[in-house]
Amino acid sequence: MLKFIIKGILRDKNRSVLPVMVVSIGVFLTVALSAWMRGIFGDMTDLNANFDSGHVKVMTCAYNENKSQIPNDLALLGVEEFQKQFEADYPEIEWAHRINFGGLLDVPDENGETRAQGTMVGKAVDLLSPDSKEIDRMNLRKALSAKNASRLPQKQGEVLISQDFADRFGVKIGDDVTLFGSTMYGSMMFSNYTVCGTIKFGNAVLDRGALILDIRDARMAMDMEDATGEMLGFFKEGEYEDVQAKAIQASFNAKYTQADDEYSPTMVILTDDSTIGMYLQMANSIGGIMVFVLILILSVVLWNTGLLGTIRRYSEFGVRLALGERKVHIYKSLLGEAVVIGIIGSVLGTAMGLWLAYYLQETGIDFSALMNNVTMMIPSVYKAKITPETFYIGFIPGLFAVVLGNALAGRAIFKRQTSQLFRELEV
Amino acid sequence: MEKQFPVGKSFFTALRDVNLDFGEGEFAGLVGPSGSGKTTLLNIIGSLDQPTKGDAEVMGKSISELNHKQAAQLRNEHIGFIFQTYNLLPVYTVFENVEFSLLLQNHTAAERKKAVMEALDWVGIADKAKLKPSTLSGGECQRIAIARAMVKKPKLVLADEPTANLDSKNSHHILQTMKKLNEELKTTFLFATHDEKVMGYLDRIVKLEDGRVVEDLVNEKLKM
Repeated sequence: MLKFIIKGILRDKNRSVLPVMVVSIGVFLTVALSAWMRGIFGDMTDLNANFDSGHVKVMTCAYNENKSQIPNDLALLGVEEFQKQFEADYPEIEWAHRINFGGLLDVPDENGETRAQGTMVGKAVDLLSPDSKEIDRMNLRKALSAKNASRLPQKQGEVLISQDFADRFGVKIGDDVTLFGSTMYGSMMFSNYTVCGTIKFGNAVLDRGALILDIRDARMAMDMEDATGEMLGFFKEGEYEDVQAKAIQASFNAKYTQADDEYSPTMVILTDDSTIGMYLQMANSIGGIMVFVLILILSVVLWNTGLLGTIRRYSEFGVRLALGERKVHIYKSLLGEAVVIGIIGSVLGTAMGLWLAYYLQETGIDFSALMNNVTMMIPSVYKAKITPETFYIGFIPGLFAVVLGNALAGRAIFKRQTSQLFRELEV
Repeated sequence: MEKQFPVGKSFFTALRDVNLDFGEGEFAGLVGPSGSGKTTLLNIIGSLDQPTKGDAEVMGKSISELNHKQAAQLRNEHIGFIFQTYNLLPVYTVFENVEFSLLLQNHTAAERKKAVMEALDWVGIADKAKLKPSTLSGGECQRIAIARAMVKKPKLVLADEPTANLDSKNSHHILQTMKKLNEELKTTFLFATHDEKVMGYLDRIVKLEDGRVVEDLVNEKLKM
């Protein structure tokens, strides 16, 4: 009987083409959009993790309480020793030291006099250690401007500044700039650097007056030897794992955080920031949301398609009843057809969706022109992300919607008298 | 037996005071104008409908007492239908159309093939087994319908205006085929018709008017 059903579907274009097209389009949208949305929210999370929060972040309790002010006077001391302990306690995490600071960047003229000045937000990271992953983590190679001879710092004393800042103040590669700020002990500091490159992340938050330098330079300038504002931890596997992060946080804080010592280290995790938590939740639940919406839409469409198909096939049902087939058997065969159509449509839709998702994963869509004034840390190129879920997620709405649609439409068989269906033969 | 259909708030009586007996191997017809109740009576005998009053007994089964499953089983095992408009399934081949009845029973593929080819042979279109009905003439389509009805060797075949869409030559050919099957297989044929050509072949004619049996006579011409 299954062979009979499949033959009928394949030969009767009215029975198969429209439903397969509807299912394919629905599945295509589910697969492509869920992968894209997952990619967008995943990228937002990664961007925040890589630039700001890490998967976990260790600071002093006092620094954490005032973190919006970037209080380097409350920085964590003895970080080399802490690093060894943390590596031993949490081997699944790799650590990166970061110092964030604010200051004034002075651009001198050929006589050494101030030509221009602007406020900047600095970020000190490990740019020079051969085993450092910070350059990749912050995507600095790609962010380097192609308009000039920009390159990454190769020795201490070299810095990167934002393209935006360089354009505003006419800074060129090789120019010297002076950073004015304060040390962690509150005294004034100034330090000279050579600009070796300009960068553009494509995000207003990151691009507005950014200065990136090696953490050794920052420590020297700010008297932060063996100290750091933040220690960011990243899972070596690469993906953030909320359950694991929470377990590590609980264990860390139980071991290291002391209520009566505001300089004791404390750990926060990525999802402690409610916005990032929402991003992560969206990334994880977007598939479910897409599936639910698509099931709803597809079911209604396929219900109507099925109704039309069922009405068109009343004469066939009449013949089958006359030949001794039971209504429930006809109904089951309709559901069987729905499963076959659902599988064919889901395979086609998934293939098309994966193709688009792959394209969006590799290329993405660049919205940077629209993001000059965006103040959230979100990527400017929206890329998809193909996960194992992408391969099967389309089958859920594809199969469920077509079966539901046919199940609803097929009820007409039971609602009509056998003799009435039979009379349709003569219509 | 009586059969009523609801029409708005009242009822239309399609059959009234019907009291008939058909024996094994009969070649009989229900004859009458449109609306006389022929098809309604055929539907009840075919267990597609139930009487409002009284009962119909087919192969020892009371139609009024059959549930949907039992009625389907009765049709599947013992009753074949032939329709005015053939009602073949257009997407399937001649072979598959005839095979369909057997798919509902537990036959092996080899058994089905043998039975289908035998049935197509009876009606003389075995060479057209692989064709689609749309490529065949009306007469050939009706012969497929006869093969489909006969393939499971039913005890009773109900034919509703089987020649209405056929020309004279094809009508006679079809009727001769059915008559031959009736004689060789002892299958009971019951027609609903107002076609004079059909009446010429019938052994018994039951005339209906306004749902009543007005005449029940043996066709003397054939008896002679």
